[in-house]
Formats: sequence, C-alpha cells, structure tokens
Amino acid sequence: MQRAMNFTRTYGILIVTVLMFIALALTTDGFATWRNFRNILDQQSTVLIAASFLTIATIAGNFDVSVSAVYVTAPLVALVVENATGNVPLAIVAAIIAGLAMGLFNGIVVSRFRINSFIATLATSFMFFGAGYLVSDRSLMRPVSDAYPMLARSQFLGLTSATWVSFAMVIIASVLLTQTRFGRNVFATGGNPEAARIAGVNVPRVQIATFALLATAAAIAGVINSSRSLSAQPSDDFSFVFAVLTAVIVGGTSIAGGQGAVWRTVVGAFFLAFMSNGFNLHQIDPIWQRLIEGLVILIAVGIDAWTQRNSR
Amino acid sequence: MADSVANTHSLLTLSGVSKHFGGVDALSDISIAFEAGKVHALVGENGAGKSTLGKLILGIHRPSGGTIALDGKDISIEEPAAALRLGLVGIAQELSLMPRANVMDNIALGREVTRRGLVDRAATLKAVKDVMDRYDMRLDPFAIVGDLPMAERQKVEILRALSRDARLIIFDEPTARLATHQAKQLLGLIRALAAAGKAVIYVSHFLDEILEVSDTITVLRNGRLISTRPASVETRATLVAGVTGQDYQSQFPPLPPAPADGAPLVRVRNLTAKGVFEGINLEVRPGEIVGLAGLVGAGRSEVAHAIYGALAVDSGEIEFDGKPLTGPIRRRIDLGMAMIPESRRDQALFLGRPILENIALPYLKRFSRLSWLNKRAEKASVETAAANTAMKFGALSDRADTLSGGNQQKILFARAAIGRPRLLIADEPTRGVDVGAKRSIYQMIAKLAAEGEAILLISSEIEEIMGLSHRVVVLSRGRVAAQLQGAALTEKAVIEAAFSGG
Ligand SMILES: Nc1ncnc2c1ncn2[C@@H]1O[C@H](COP(=O)(O)OP(=O)(O)OP(=O)(O)O)[C@@H](O)[C@H]1O
Ligand SMILES: [Mg+2]
Repeated sequence: MQRAMNFTRTYGILIVTVLMFIALALTTDGFATWRNFRNILDQQSTVLIAASFLTIATIAGNFDVSVSAVYVTAPLVALVVENATGNVPLAIVAAIIAGLAMGLFNGIVVSRFRINSFIATLATSFMFFGAGYLVSDRSLMRPVSDAYPMLARSQFLGLTSATWVSFAMVIIASVLLTQTRFGRNVFATGGNPEAARIAGVNVPRVQIATFALLATAAAIAGVINSSRSLSAQPSDDFSFVFAVLTAVIVGGTSIAGGQGAVWRTVVGAFFLAFMSNGFNLHQIDPIWQRLIEGLVILIAVGIDAWTQRNSR
Repeated sequence: MADSVANTHSLLTLSGVSKHFGGVDALSDISIAFEAGKVHALVGENGAGKSTLGKLILGIHRPSGGTIALDGKDISIEEPAAALRLGLVGIAQELSLMPRANVMDNIALGREVTRRGLVDRAATLKAVKDVMDRYDMRLDPFAIVGDLPMAERQKVEILRALSRDARLIIFDEPTARLATHQAKQLLGLIRALAAAGKAVIYVSHFLDEILEVSDTITVLRNGRLISTRPASVETRATLVAGVTGQDYQSQFPPLPPAPADGAPLVRVRNLTAKGVFEGINLEVRPGEIVGLAGLVGAGRSEVAHAIYGALAVDSGEIEFDGKPLTGPIRRRIDLGMAMIPESRRDQALFLGRPILENIALPYLKRFSRLSWLNKRAEKASVETAAANTAMKFGALSDRADTLSGGNQQKILFARAAIGRPRLLIADEPTRGVDVGAKRSIYQMIAKLAAEGEAILLISSEIEEIMGLSHRVVVLSRGRVAAQLQGAALTEKAVIEAAFSGG
C-alpha cells in the first residue's frame, strides 16, 4: 500500500500521460500517426528547450519571468546581425551571447542584491523587451539569407532540426542535473541555501549559472521560433514563459525549490501537448479548451499536494 | 490488552497501536495510557519510535493498526487540526513558529478573537495576556519571535499550546537546545502544567531530567514497549540498561594524551566581530581537543563560524598551519576544515534529498572530474562513512527526513568522516543523540584526536566539556573569560568563568 502510494507519487504524471495517450490513440482518428507525432514534437521543441532549463532554475529556488523577453529579443539580435552580414553562424552566436548576457544580468541582480527572483525578473523583462524594440527599430524583421529558415526546418531521420535541438537540450539539462557536481549544488542551493553555504557551495555562483543557462536556452528557443516563422517582431508578450512554466509545474517540479527533475518537465510538456492535440482533433471550441486546460492543471497540482500530504 | 493499561484516570489510551513506514516498523503493538496530572516520559534510542508515537497522537501520522481512546471513547485522529480540537498539542522537536511575526500573533495563530470577521486585536491581546498571567510566563507580546533567544521561543510555543486549551501536551526533546539553567526552568514549568491537571508526555535523552520530572517512565526499543514503570523505581543505571539493552558503562572514553607543546594548527589572534565577540585568542594543536564553553549567547558558535569563514570579522588574524587564513568557506574546507553546525535542520541538512547526497555534498570534488560525478566511488565512500557512525537507515537513497532526529545528527558525522579534516569544529555534536550513540560519538571524537586531528568542541553540556576536553576556553559575553587546563580545569571553574561576564 505504502509502496503503491510512493510509486504513484513519483510516477503519477507519467502514468496519467500514458493513459491519456492510450485513450487518445484508441478514440481519435489521426492521433496515432507518424505525421501527427512529428508535428507535436516540432511544436513542442521551443517549450522543451526553455522548460528543461527553467526546471534547473526552479530547483535552485528561483523563478524567471524574463524567459519571454529573452525569447522575443534574442532572435531580433540574431536577425540584425544576419541582415547586416548575411552570416548565419555569426547571427546565432550573437543571439546566444545576448541571451547569456541577459541571464548573467538576472543572476547578478537576484543573487548579489538578494531581490526576490520573481520581482527582479519581472523588472528585467521590461528592460529586455525594451532592448528588443531598440535593436529592431520597432519593426518586424525577416531573414535575408536562405540558410536562416533552414535552422529549424531541415529534416533529419524524419524529424525537424528544431526537434533534434530540443532533444539535445533536454539531454544536456538532464545530465547537468543528475550527473554533475553542478547539479548537486543546484539541489542543495534550492533545498536549503544556508546549509549549502556551510557545506562550501558558492550559492550566488550557482544561482547566476542557472539564470545564465536558462536565458541561453531561451535565446536558442527564440532563434528556432524565428527560423520557423521566418520573422521576428518586437513585442512585450509574456505568454511564452507561462507555457514553459506550466510544463514544469504539471510535471511536478516543486516551486519551493530543491526538488524536481527534467524528465518530469518533458512528461508535463507532452501531457499538455497531447491534451490540446486531442482537443483540436475533436474540434473542440478553443474557449472550452482553455477552461478544461486550466481545470486539468488545477487537478494535477491538487493531486500532487494530496499525495504529498497523505504519504505522511 | 487494553484493559490492562487503561484505568479510570486515563485521559488518552493507546491499545495495540503500530505504525509502519514502508518496510520499517517504527512502532509495533504499543499499549500505553496517559493520565491527566501526570508527567509520562518516553525514553529510548534514536529511532526507537518516540517521536512517531507523539506524531500519531498529534494526527501527523495515522496508525497502521490498533486503537486510540480519549476519555474511554475510541477516536480517530485524522489530521493535526483534529488533534488540536481534541486538546492534544505538541511542542515540536524542531520549533514551528513564524519567525517574522510577533509573540502575540504566534500565540494566537488560528485562535484570534474576531468581531464580524475581523481580528479584534485588543481582545486578542487580552486573551494572550490572560494565558501568560495564568501560567506565570510573561513575554513581551510585541517582540518579534525571530529575535528571541531559543528558550523564549520555546515559551511562545508552550503558550500557544496553553491558549488552545490543551489537555495533553507532548514535549519532544524540549531541552536539547537550552542551556542548563533554562532547562531547569522548563522542568519547573512542566511540573506546574501537570499540577494544573494537564497530561504531559516528555521525550528526552537526558536521563537525569527524566528522573527528576516524570511520574511514569516508558522505555521503547526498536518500536516495542519494553516497560512502563513509576519513576520512583527507576535509576540512571536501570534506564541505561533499558534503553541500550546493555549494562551501564562510563559515558566517556579515555582521552588520548594531550599533545606535547607542538606548533598549533589554528591560532586565533585578537579576533573581533563588532557586537558579537571581541579580542578572542585561541589555539588548537593537532591531536588536541579544545572545549569552547560558555552560556548560550556567549558567542561560541560565532567564533566557530568566523574560523570556518562563515562569519565576517572586523579585525584580528586567524592562522592555519602557520599561514594566514583568508577566503571563503570552500577554501577552508579544501585546506582541511570541517564543521558540524549547531542546527542540523537550518544549517546542515537537505531534508528532501537522499541521505547519500547529504553526506557527500562538501566533498564532491573528490568524486568527480570536470564536474562529472563518479557515483560508484561516491557511494563506496559514503557507505563506509555511514557504517562507521552506526547510523540506522533503510537505504542511502532514502530521504534524510525519514531518519529519526539522532540518526540525522549522525549524517553530519559521516559527512565530516569523509572529509578526514585536519580541524573539526563540532558545535553541539550530540544534540538529540541517545545515550548509546552519544558514547559512540565521544569515542569517534577521541579516536579522531588520537589520529592527530585538531578538535574544537562546543557544548552546552558541562559533563561533555569536562569529559572530553584537554583544555577549555570559556567565553562570556563575547570575550575569553578563562583558559583552563590541568588541575585548574574543574567544573566549578568553568561555570564561574561562564557567568563572570567576561
Ligand atoms: N516519515 C518517515 N518515513 C519513513 N520512516 C520513518 C519516518 N519517520 C520515522 N521513520 C522511521 O521510524 C523509526 C522511528 O523514528 P522516530 O523518529 O519515532 O524515532 P525517535 O525515537 O524519535 O528517535 P530520536 O531519539 O532519534 O528522535 C526510525 O527508524 C525512522 O527512520
Ligand atoms: Mg525523535
């Protein structure tokens, strides 16, 4: 009984996702097709890239709202460079450096000045969004070279390059977290920062590193998105970070810090993706989709809280 | 079974109660009765099931079997709130107050007097003051709890319990964090609570306290009830025998001889942190155990933290191995320092993480290359260290919070053992540890000294300081009040210096 309880608590989200997958495969025409899966993977790639690294930052005890701003602004930097030089690798490097710089800025603000991460990154979001308007001169930007659109759209073994990049990023995040000293320090920092400090962990440095990694990942996700949509536009649209955060939370990584896993986030992302894909295939009104999605998130979080309580 | 323990006075009766956690039998077939107006002590080794018994009564855990009866009627305590409604309250092993709120709000939490849905602060204040007066425990209602010393914080917890019309109060190791005179005060208070008709359950590893304060003593071992007898027939020796299952032995191992006047490993000169301590001079030689004594608040932990690099100082020098010591904690660990901090919960443990990760954390560099962990080497090292401390656990992958309090303390020893440090700073190293395990910790400390480690031992237990130190430095109000050794090192001299006020 106890053992069954522990098992459900640990793998609950995985079980639910598999059940939903089976149910959809049995009831829905067009769900269990290679074409559909390939599309789902491609659509989820940007969320997965950012969510894997938001998982790390969350475990370290921080939250980062500025993921959206980096996601919007970094591809603008890439396209400015690309438009000026026609050099795509240089454009990618520029976007990554921009992401890294924004992440370092977040990390330094949060860890050195000890400002609550939610509030600090809300503030830096506006700065980063503003920087996006500046570099793009407030206009929609399009790539000039033929290579840029291929960044996300090349095919390899039947999957898009965007999908392959997301696989690589998920694996990197997961390995960092579970196989390295850095990962241990992340768990320690989020679980009990004072105990981590006493144990010799450089807590500010760990926090800065998690922000820097996350913003770099968000920049890569942004470049992929712009390559896929053949454009980038300055805006102050926060929606991306909420899609990313939802995957992290539904997966079961604790917002309190010190607890969680990248695989959980991946499962959480696919849970949400299958659900909305099922809705679409059944042609359910998008308004109802939203309502039901919200309800399901509440249930997921509620079940998590309930099992946590009853395991005691 | 139930009839044999219950009687007309019993407030709360447990009959055939058991509790399993996965494969661990924390309690099996416990039948016990708690009476109003009596102090009932629970003793037993770390992991014997004392805290678990309390948690069943408080609705924190639910029994796997057996029945609980209140006033002779069977009840089921579904959750902590239900226990509170029944008047069953606990003073936790680790306090659970809101540190940023004031005394009044902490005491009144959840029981604020309200008028039309709004909190009536004046009436709440009056209710809080009434409780303080009734039990003669006065505190400033507006003081912020986080600023209070530990003993006062505990009073806040107790007042909170009393303001909830408690009928039964569980104290789980309440004196573990208190200085001797504060502990004495608390024991007086507990007697007063019993005199006022409360049933009191008292859990402690201090056998003298138990003998002094309780009416009835129950010994638990490995989750089973060994005996329940009146305190008047028990002695220190019978309790030690009951708890450990072995005959009474002297607590302290023979100390290795003090090292000859070699060069000190650590030398502290005129160390000052304004408002905390001033002009501290201190030396520890390899192989020497130096006791750092003093009252709670004298600055002992702060001096230790300064040496370890966890507290910034304003002036003075620290030399390690003849060289000036600077830099962050990380550097000092790499040079061969280790610290077992005072509060395992706040400063040392990651309760939600595996035991293994808790033990290995400061020394991951030894098990990794370019940050990549060699988990096999790590596990082998941790297994040896855990075995050396006689820690009781299911698997190294279990979460740290599944261990009993004393076994959690052993995690910290296992951690220090992996480090094989040259200087070990042990701040209250036996807090919450049972008599048998205390002895093994003392042996461990003596052995480390014999192997040439320098040891700085901080303890509020005077016997521990006396039984284990080659030399004692007494702090009083942030200054060195005395350095005692040889014939000058007597219990009386230490206590006098501690109270001297620097
Ligand atoms: N939540 C839990 N999950 C799994 N095992 C647990 C849990 N809580 C306690 N245990 C186990 O139950 C046993 C009894 O633990 P308990 O905390 O009651 O001991 P204790 O007598 O209070 O010891 P101590 O003197 O060290 O505080 C221990 O073996 C402990 O590891
Ligand atoms: Mg206990």
